[in-house]
Amino acid sequence: MKCLIVSLGILFICHLVHSYEGTITEELLIKPLYSEQVYTHFQFSTKWDIDPDKETFRHSPLFPRPLGEIVQRFDIQELHVTLTSGLWRYEKWGYPVKDAATGVEVLAWFKPGSDVDKNWKLLANSLSGLLCASLNFIDNTNTIKPEFSFRPRGILESNLLNNSYVRYANLPHEIVCTENLTPWKKLLPCDSRTGLASLLNSGHIHNTRYHSIGLHLRPVCRDKSCESMSLELQQTVSLVYDYLILGTKNWSLRKLFGQGINRKCVLVSKSDVYVDTTNQDIELEPPPDETVTSVRGGQVTTLQKYIVSNQFLNIYAKFQNADLVSLNLPPPLHANQYLSGYGQERGGIVTKIYNNHWKQIDVVLMQNIPWFIPIYLHTLKVTADGRDIKPIQLRYIPARQRERPTYLEVLLTVPARTATSVVIDFDYVFLKWQEYPPDANFGFHIGSAVISSYLPVARNYTAVPWDGSLISDSFNASRSGYLVEVRTENLIITLPTPDFSMPYNVICLACTVVALAFGPLHNITTRKLILKSKRKVLLIERIKKFLFSLKKTKTE
Amino acid sequence: MGLLTDPTTGQGKFIKILLKYYSYACMLLYIGGVIWFLALAYPTMNANTYFSENALLPGLVKSQFREDREAARYHEELLDEMNKYHDSIPYSWLLAKFNQIGLDTYTHNFTLTSPFNRKDKFSGKNVYGILRAPRGSSSEALVLSTPFRPSTSAHPPTAPSVAIMLAFAKFANREKYWAKDIIFLITEHEQVGVQAWLEAYYGVSCGSENILDHGDLRGRGGAIQAAINLELHSERIGQMDIKIEGLNGQLPNLDLFNLASKMCTKEGVYQTFKNKGPFYSRKPSKEWLNYFRNMLSMMGTQATGIPNGNHGLFHRFGIQALTLEGFEQSRAKGSNKIWFVGTGRIIEGIFRSLNNLLERFHQSFFFYLLPSSDRYISISIYIPSVCLMIGTMFIKACARWFKLQETSCKEMSTETHSPPVRIDKIITTFLVTHFFGVLVSNIPQFMSRYITSLSVYETNVKVFYPLLACLVQLLFIPLFIRMRHCRKSMELLNILAMLELGTVLICISMNNFSLGFFCAIISVPAALLVNPSSCRICSYFQRFLWFLVHPLIILTVAVMINTYFLFPEERMKEIVIRGWDATQQSVIFSIVDSMVYGNWLYGVVTNIFIPNWLCFWIVSFCVFKEDEIDTEKTEDITDKDIKKTN
Repeated sequence: MKCLIVSLGILFICHLVHSYEGTITEELLIKPLYSEQVYTHFQFSTKWDIDPDKETFRHSPLFPRPLGEIVQRFDIQELHVTLTSGLWRYEKWGYPVKDAATGVEVLAWFKPGSDVDKNWKLLANSLSGLLCASLNFIDNTNTIKPEFSFRPRGILESNLLNNSYVRYANLPHEIVCTENLTPWKKLLPCDSRTGLASLLNSGHIHNTRYHSIGLHLRPVCRDKSCESMSLELQQTVSLVYDYLILGTKNWSLRKLFGQGINRKCVLVSKSDVYVDTTNQDIELEPPPDETVTSVRGGQVTTLQKYIVSNQFLNIYAKFQNADLVSLNLPPPLHANQYLSGYGQERGGIVTKIYNNHWKQIDVVLMQNIPWFIPIYLHTLKVTADGRDIKPIQLRYIPARQRERPTYLEVLLTVPARTATSVVIDFDYVFLKWQEYPPDANFGFHIGSAVISSYLPVARNYTAVPWDGSLISDSFNASRSGYLVEVRTENLIITLPTPDFSMPYNVICLACTVVALAFGPLHNITTRKLILKSKRKVLLIERIKKFLFSLKKTKTE
Repeated sequence: MGLLTDPTTGQGKFIKILLKYYSYACMLLYIGGVIWFLALAYPTMNANTYFSENALLPGLVKSQFREDREAARYHEELLDEMNKYHDSIPYSWLLAKFNQIGLDTYTHNFTLTSPFNRKDKFSGKNVYGILRAPRGSSSEALVLSTPFRPSTSAHPPTAPSVAIMLAFAKFANREKYWAKDIIFLITEHEQVGVQAWLEAYYGVSCGSENILDHGDLRGRGGAIQAAINLELHSERIGQMDIKIEGLNGQLPNLDLFNLASKMCTKEGVYQTFKNKGPFYSRKPSKEWLNYFRNMLSMMGTQATGIPNGNHGLFHRFGIQALTLEGFEQSRAKGSNKIWFVGTGRIIEGIFRSLNNLLERFHQSFFFYLLPSSDRYISISIYIPSVCLMIGTMFIKACARWFKLQETSCKEMSTETHSPPVRIDKIITTFLVTHFFGVLVSNIPQFMSRYITSLSVYETNVKVFYPLLACLVQLLFIPLFIRMRHCRKSMELLNILAMLELGTVLICISMNNFSLGFFCAIISVPAALLVNPSSCRICSYFQRFLWFLVHPLIILTVAVMINTYFLFPEERMKEIVIRGWDATQQSVIFSIVDSMVYGNWLYGVVTNIFIPNWLCFWIVSFCVFKEDEIDTEKTEDITDKDIKKTN
């Protein structure tokens, strides 16, 4: 009987797999970084050969149905959601496969002709439920429509797409934790029991310096001829482990994730693990199935490939010369952001863009500044090495209190081998007392700036090209430019904060005043006042009188 | 409670009482203020310190710091390095160590142009490493700083604090619980280094233009929440002194002081404030005296407005900071000495508590006095003492005003002739004195900027003597004021000066209580005694008395007394010479401080106190004819007349 059920089940699954037109792949890239860290990037891609415009998503065999419903209901062309904790350190770590800012970032392109503002709000609320994050705080007060910074990553059917269909918001104060990972794992085809997803144990992946989970949905070409469309969903997890926190430089899958890979997910057509061993003297155990050499933009990368079979897999890496420290060559472009000034009157937001390349680079700086930080456009100053730089283009929509944030996009040419600083001044303002959060003295966050550019070289570059969807597509993928979207730190700004114990004091004082005023008021209104002539009493007489009264009381 | 009573009723009575008794009231209030102040040190007037911020959770975790051997090794290596570099910071060694530990390491260059000689430039180099918090995203940071002192430095050595800082960095970088970046900062040239680093961190200049070129920083760690400055003079610490007084008398949050104090106690080191540990005595008088001395010692440091450690420069930027100064010798009998493990654990405890903080420090007091390390006096308790004293100024001004009104009323009725009161002249006099004040405050900058040919002379010749000459010249101002023959004008000027003095003193004591208090206790009684009078002897006495409270005279006297106590064995003449030199130095230092750090003591004294002093000085030179006094004498008679008619 049992046998029958199992075989029926297998038959059913086989049927499902066959009826599903598309592919599911999972990949893991492990890359020891120059400094004391190791970077791991998981990518689960579900490609579904349907036309997203026509499909009703009523029957979605392997594609996560909740997401399908969202796509259909809110007319979504493209959707990118990332939840990140920690900061990606570009200067030391190079570029990640997917850039993400600390906190939550949501970027969506809507189909032309849809009610974008309404759908955006509904989308945020649906995602909030789907990922158990406070995405419902996304509304008009923190949403902008960037014009230059973001391009659609997928294919476009019409040329109608412009920035009125894009919405971007970030929630820098959102804390990402296990509660976001669990619902995210539910969207995977094999959940987290088998395949690479079995490595995602929340106990281990939150012990990292950086972790970011993401959902990226876009329409792609079904094949080379690109006659029909497919819908692609990429689910990514990026983690950066620190050797010092791990306790050793020799890592293994078990050490990083708590366990090895537990069999292959049966629904997956391709399940690979790549270990980057470029310039690293690493001995891998078990030996890899294949060695891949990739030349991309003049950068040679050596990768060891493991094909996940139906057996348990634990990769163990041993550094031959553990004391060897490789020299860190910073990436061509990185940036950071800080506040200038002190006190609570005036301040400035400074974004520093470092160009380490030998040639000038064109960049787009985008800033989404909350409405409670009123900035002054005339103070915008771009300098490099003491010279003023004139922005090529400027897009600016000033904030409106409690309605919309400040949107600023600056197109710049960053001179070679310099740090260019973009400074804009602002005023500190008081908020209404109810607008302060419960931890009022913590301060308020300003989200990270986004600096996008096409880099001429692919040094420290790992991202997948836009025409590919797998990590393996990034091998030997030389292009004319390499898109990076560098994120900066979030800022914490201390607005003038009232003393919140003050209302209590005010109530006490007001009550006292009312109580004290009541007596005379009552007297005046209820008593009849008669003028009486007053005899002048000398001080001595008064004292006498007082003494007499004392005497009297004594005798009594 | 007369909340709803008509304010105009019975006004005449109050005025009469005021006019009759105001001098007694003033005296009484002044004495009351002094007594109140003396009582502050009495244990019932102050309270035990306590933690107001619950998030700190001090000392709740088990200390894990065990890097004492590492610290000792760093110390040995550093001493070797220091022998190679006699008067500069061994930054290559420090950079290598920070890198080895795994911190983001940066250097910071700065240049100081001498305020009095533009050609003299001093450059310095700070080294800092940032521990990037695994649980944070570089939006908040804590600072652990230490001044680097080369072996040739006049100050006690701080090499052990560099060693313990490195060992702590090594320990901390392995831990995964940090939510705030920790910046390990080693500064050169004492306070200039820290000031330059902070200015570079915030991209601002605090002092005069073009004096301190703060350079730029490449690495930052977000908003700095707190800073601990280490000055450990030995590997073995027998006594840990906590220093808190900052620039312009700013103090760190009391919670931070309590935290440091508690962690020191936890590790069993004899912990002191102003070199005095906790003190208990059965005799209340003895206890009072001890508290009082300690409080005065704190107020003395606070009043100067000069930070007594590198922590003092952080306060301006809203960063709570203090210095832990460790001595090998302990004042306590039989106290034990702690080694690197103990000091490391003190630092660990403090930083883990600070790491727990969610909101920045806001709970506890920012304005307080400490009579001992475990007791505090809050602002609500100490401010009445100075308010009582300063209140006399307003009472006297009020009374004098009413008196003036009455005499003018009488004059109207009796039609006696007196010179007319020229309000415009009074205002002009008042403004002119202040204009001179502004001039005096700008003399040093002017001298240094435009008269470059003087650069061969010494600073005191270049700056102090012109300043002194100006001040002496200003003494002759009253001779040029013609309206000093008009009694009423002088009265008005006196009232104006008293109101100004009162307001200024109140403002100062809100910001820097100690300075305000000391100014008030000296200047208020003298100001009360200065009146326009016709009596020659009184007038001379007034002038003499008021001359004694000239800011420069006070400074000279204070420095002389200090010199006498520092060098008791020397003869009087030598003490006077030394004291005079020290006075010159102190004036020059206060000017330098105002130009480099933005210390406002010099500015306040020259822009406000000296003009105000001049106003009173003019008043004391008042001369008027006898016939006006007759009207004063008739006052009483007319007073009685009015009463009768009533």
